[in-house]
Amino acid sequence: MVYQDTLQLAQQGKGAYEIGNLVAGLIKKSGINTGTCQLYIHSSTASLLIGDTTDETTQSETASFMAQLAPSNDNFENKINRNMEAVPEEMRYALAQPSLSIPVKNTRPGIGVWQGIFLWENSAQAADCKLTITVTGE
Amino acid sequence: MVHQQQLHFSTSGRGTFNISQQVKEVISESGINTGICQVFIHHTSASLILCENADPDVRTDLETFMKKMVPDGDQMFIHQDEGPDDMPAHVRTVLTSSSLSIPVNNNRDKLGTWQGIYLWEHRTHPHKRNITVTVIGD
Repeated sequence: MVYQDTLQLAQQGKGAYEIGNLVAGLIKKSGINTGTCQLYIHSSTASLLIGDTTDETTQSETASFMAQLAPSNDNFENKINRNMEAVPEEMRYALAQPSLSIPVKNTRPGIGVWQGIFLWENSAQAADCKLTITVTGE
Repeated sequence: MVHQQQLHFSTSGRGTFNISQQVKEVISESGINTGICQVFIHHTSASLILCENADPDVRTDLETFMKKMVPDGDQMFIHQDEGPDDMPAHVRTVLTSSSLSIPVNNNRDKLGTWQGIYLWEHRTHPHKRNITVTVIGD
């Protein structure tokens, strides 16, 4: 059995947003008891990641690390004549993941106690983005 | 058809552990001939990688690279409740993978000859780690 849905997520600016409840709701709606759930973000600046939910500084510090690795003011050559800001943001995106797969168990996300599902927006000027969820199983 | 199974590992501290054999056994037990195998780790300070399995120096070098890129005790990090390796372990997890999907064919994994599935423990102390393997197919 396969369930698929695409949602429009409103732009919220730079930061990490937990979408675990949204995902849990869609898995429940799918009616699939055991299987896998793939999340895919239709964006070039936002990523999906599994993060720690015990201390919210772990999200901001991951962002600080990435900002240091691909700083916004780095002098990247911009061959496609776009806003320079966008280049490091896309590099950070490439280092993270546009899609995420988790197990489905008892019609719920089968993830760890301290794991949360986060949408991680790297760009301050991001537009609304779409999220597609595909639940496969029985 | 869906087959889901939990695997449990005890790590001896920071390092990589080859879990390919245990995943192969789950695929074999599933009885599924053709499909996809998802491997998911339920933690935010340990992760999964596909890596070359012939020369262990490759994994030693990856460890050296990670240590250099995300140094323990970096002053940039404030989340150090569980020690200098606490926040670096979360960043290392984000830079690698929480889940892997591999093709299944003839009731066997279709890993390349030199590919191995590794659990990468990022904490310096030993931990118990849980993994869910879900095989979907016909």
